[in-house]
Amino acid sequence: MKRLVVLAAALILAGCGEKVEPSAEAPVKLEPFTVMLDYFPNADHAGIYAAYEAGLYRKAGLDVKIQTPPDPSAPLKLLTAGRADVAISYEPELLLARDAGAENLISVAALVQVPLTSLMALPSSGIRSAADLKGKRVGTAGIPYQSAYLKTILEKAGVDPSTVKETNVGFNLVPALLSKKADAVLGAFWNVEGVELERRDRTPVILRMDKLGVPTYNELILVARRESLNAEGASRLRRFISATAEGTQLVRDDPATGADALLKADKGLDDRALQEAEIKATLPAFFPTDTSKPWGWQETVDWANYERWMRANDLLTRPPSESPPLTNEFLPGVGLGDSSRG
Amino acid sequence: MTAALLALWELVVRAGWVDSLLLPAPTQVARSLWDDRSLLAPDLLVTTWEVVVGLVAALVLGAALAVAMHMVAWIDRALRPLVVGSQAVPIPVIAPLIVLILGFGLAPKILIIALICFFPVTIAIADGLRDSDADARKLLRALDATRWQRLRFLDAPSALPSAFTGMKVAAAIAVIGAVLAEWSGSDAGLGHLLITANGQLETARAFAATALLMAEAVGLYVLFAWLERRVVTWGPRA
Repeated sequence: MKRLVVLAAALILAGCGEKVEPSAEAPVKLEPFTVMLDYFPNADHAGIYAAYEAGLYRKAGLDVKIQTPPDPSAPLKLLTAGRADVAISYEPELLLARDAGAENLISVAALVQVPLTSLMALPSSGIRSAADLKGKRVGTAGIPYQSAYLKTILEKAGVDPSTVKETNVGFNLVPALLSKKADAVLGAFWNVEGVELERRDRTPVILRMDKLGVPTYNELILVARRESLNAEGASRLRRFISATAEGTQLVRDDPATGADALLKADKGLDDRALQEAEIKATLPAFFPTDTSKPWGWQETVDWANYERWMRANDLLTRPPSESPPLTNEFLPGVGLGDSSRG
Repeated sequence: MTAALLALWELVVRAGWVDSLLLPAPTQVARSLWDDRSLLAPDLLVTTWEVVVGLVAALVLGAALAVAMHMVAWIDRALRPLVVGSQAVPIPVIAPLIVLILGFGLAPKILIIALICFFPVTIAIADGLRDSDADARKLLRALDATRWQRLRFLDAPSALPSAFTGMKVAAAIAVIGAVLAEWSGSDAGLGHLLITANGQLETARAFAATALLMAEAVGLYVLFAWLERRVVTWGPRA
């Protein structure tokens, strides 16, 4: 696939140059391609920024623009409105959007394979496991499906949910924890807030969703509009995903590349050691555990399990859709002629 | 007074009553102001530019709207509820819509700042125009003045003090308007810096940015107060 991309780029290069210049400086006609992030740039986007800084997108013939959304729920709306070619979102958010009628949205790659959302507590709270939540106050971000996580976790741990007080603290999960207004918080990411607190000597107890009885899911996904995937759109998307996979590989080979790229994108992210620590923590989640699968692989069975859990918790109202919520056909080495469609 | 407050604040943090990740000491904030100056300065410029353009837009639109409402009764009746209602719109609700229409550049920031700032300007000017001296109005009518002449020679000058009150309020809130605008998607500015600083638990830096925002609001207020003294040299306050 990589070779194909290079070949394609070379062909484009040769095709449009009256003055044939062998260098990469030749005036290649780049196709615009807009990526909407899920949130402000952070370690989760290391692969994308590394690919950007290494010029992998340009090499793939794409003039990539990376946009920060107004808030984490906006990317899918803006994608629907055609403000982006691809949006980063969350598996539950996509399923909710499709349940609300946006069945044309489809996940085309997993940026982060596993749940990053976690249950966090400071050691002083005495919470070591989900069973210790009995009689405690848990701060959540006020997102319904995360409140449902708490319910599932308590049920699995055999704790009566009525003994646990849930408080909506919005985006102030870490302050709620530090000020001890909450004994534990659900919603912070183990690879971001978890690493930060640890580096500031407030090492928290971190319990991950998929270890507490919540079915596993892809925390961050790349979402596209089905109707935008005609031959040209599909080609652009394939090249984008391929270059992002390569960028993520660069980050795996040397996490510092990711930290440098992030710092270049946003000079406010100047705590390089912190960024690098977060990237290192996230690395295992960037790639599928099954090494025979390409970067971005989404497990259909896991998606079905997760969707079933959402239904069981009354988070989805419509009957299951005819069109699948995900496809692996745009991943590197997949869907090019052979029958390995996901 | 300020010094006493700062001393108390320093003491509270030094004594360890509050986690310094939640509330940094004033000395830590001061150090961040200096250490992070190469980071803060460009962002301050970005935000200041947004504030200035947004404020000018709010003043121009706000004043035009007030005059229209003053001159035409049905415009007042039709728009006043909308003008008041606009202040209840939470920015996060309309932010995606604004991005959808205006994209990601300076334009959406200007719109959000203007949306937040035009209200005190419009209301203050509209009410100022309305409350011109009744006897003077009678006199102008006796002299057969047109509506425009009445606006030019009576209503507008007598609305100036009230207009400046509205502008001073707008100047003070324009800065928080810029922060809200940057929180709705941005890659530079002090509002953006606040998010990345909070995201890295750099609380002292977030407070340093806040100190700059406060200074900017005070500066703008002082500027308009000075303008007011230069322009309004008559009236009940003189």
